[in-house]
Amino acid sequence: MYLMADILINVIIAFLAGSLLLGLHRKIMARVQLRPGPPVIQYLLHSLKFFFKESSFPKTASMPFYVSIIFILAVVWIVGVIVGPVTENSLLIIFAVYAIYKIVEHNAGSSSGSPYGKMSCVRAVLSAATELPLFAAIALIYFKTGTLNISGILMYQSIHGPLISSIPLAAVMLFTLLLTKSPYSPFAITKGKDLVTGFETEHFGFLRGFLMMSESIAWYVMLWLFLVLFFGPISIIWLVIGMVLISVITGFINATTPMLNPNHSVMTQITICFVCFVGTIVMIFI
Amino acid sequence: MSFEVLGGNLLGTIPFGDIVLYLTPFNLFMFVVLLIFTFLIAVSKTETQVEASLVKLENTNKNVGKKEFHQRRFLAVICGIASAGAMITGDLFDFTLFMALVGILNIGIVSAVRQVSVLNSAFHYGLIAMMCSLPLFGGAAIILAATGTLSLDILSTMHTTPMIIFGALLMLIGVIGESGVAPFFATKAEMFRTPGSPFIIIIHLSSLFIIIRAVEIFLLVLM
Amino acid sequence: MERQTKICLLLLVISTIFILYALVFTIPIWLVYVISIFFIPLWILSLGLITMAKPREEDKEARVEEPFTGY
Repeated sequence: MYLMADILINVIIAFLAGSLLLGLHRKIMARVQLRPGPPVIQYLLHSLKFFFKESSFPKTASMPFYVSIIFILAVVWIVGVIVGPVTENSLLIIFAVYAIYKIVEHNAGSSSGSPYGKMSCVRAVLSAATELPLFAAIALIYFKTGTLNISGILMYQSIHGPLISSIPLAAVMLFTLLLTKSPYSPFAITKGKDLVTGFETEHFGFLRGFLMMSESIAWYVMLWLFLVLFFGPISIIWLVIGMVLISVITGFINATTPMLNPNHSVMTQITICFVCFVGTIVMIFI
Repeated sequence: MSFEVLGGNLLGTIPFGDIVLYLTPFNLFMFVVLLIFTFLIAVSKTETQVEASLVKLENTNKNVGKKEFHQRRFLAVICGIASAGAMITGDLFDFTLFMALVGILNIGIVSAVRQVSVLNSAFHYGLIAMMCSLPLFGGAAIILAATGTLSLDILSTMHTTPMIIFGALLMLIGVIGESGVAPFFATKAEMFRTPGSPFIIIIHLSSLFIIIRAVEIFLLVLM
Repeated sequence: MERQTKICLLLLVISTIFILYALVFTIPIWLVYVISIFFIPLWILSLGLITMAKPREEDKEARVEEPFTGY
């Protein structure tokens, strides 16, 4: 009974907080570019507005995958909320959730039959190389703390201090991952404007609203994960401050960098991963 | 290190004699997701890829033909089931076997397509997959020779010797090549341009999930 | 679309009943996970399929036949 209420409340908080943070991100980007920008609540309003718009399902689409892939995205990020903020279970499940997000980018693009979606689908395969920073960060956390259970990692940090001070380069790797998932990022090759909106292009109406909802939950869960994994058991105030700060920082970075060419994007992420991984190994053993 | 530390508490095992399948929340989640995707692939129709034609003001539609559809769907469903099996398997032999099967099926799924660039890409990927089946099985054989067992349950409690590390590294190279992740995915990318979205998704999905499972297995064996 | 609306309404009601059931009664933990993972997105999906606007009859074919290449 309490568990279900816990899950529902966390999902609603994830949706609302994630939407407001993404709205803030967009506002910061606009201000850096000397534009007024939309109100911070815009992302939330858009997600809800789309539910009342006309939703056409293209004749050429691959049913039922076209609709069910969006449903699957919501399912996996609710699993992410359950494994993260609610039960603090295994980190490998979050890794699997992130991999499924990649799959959703792939299939949402290819299932409509549109050339924009097809190109986004192929780029999603290339961008699967960004799993490397996540894998490396998880491996380093495992070497340092001896566990992959989020509650175990929290317990380790309450005894030995936050991981940001002992393996800061792993935090850099996870931050690169956050940057990849943020809107208009230099690494966001699957959603680049040269592909209209990439894999989201041909999902109209309420499917788009549903997609936006899942992405706001995803943003919240990933920020929560970053803060909890590297700063330890912190209070709600610090969690809020941390999430706002990360959204602002990514907003600044995204406003001032262009989108990288797909190959360059993959190479940059692999280079960052390699440098940080080797650096951390050196730091641990020397 | 044990299963609990990596995947959450052990929910149960399914012993088939020496071969023991085990379930933790992590394995169960991956297993269920793969089965759901396999079911969706089995019931899905394929999409029609639309492109602008040269010279004319019309569209070029690319469809998947009926015979090709049946062949590819069959292979895609088998690939899904093989990947699902690789998620819950508890010994290295079954894991390497499923991995090799998935590698072959990945090529098979696109081999019925009539686009030359796709077939070229599948050929190059196939070369790498074949070459990497040597370190894959060789690594597992070395671990068996060094420890006398292939069971993950026992390997996770054993002390790590240099021979086990060497075997695990060989297996890692094998898995990277067979599933075609970085840096070998550059050969695979072209394979995904063909129509037949439900079938190509299982190529991507199986590779990603097997890499994640490989991460868990190597952490179990090496720590 | 009448049939679609009826099916979605049914799915919405079923999802609501399951979510309320998990909220009110004490049930095994694995069942709570299954209900929350499957029925919360199903609730949103069925709601979306009911609230979405329908095109006018004369425009319906044009919307679905949409050429992605822009003519």
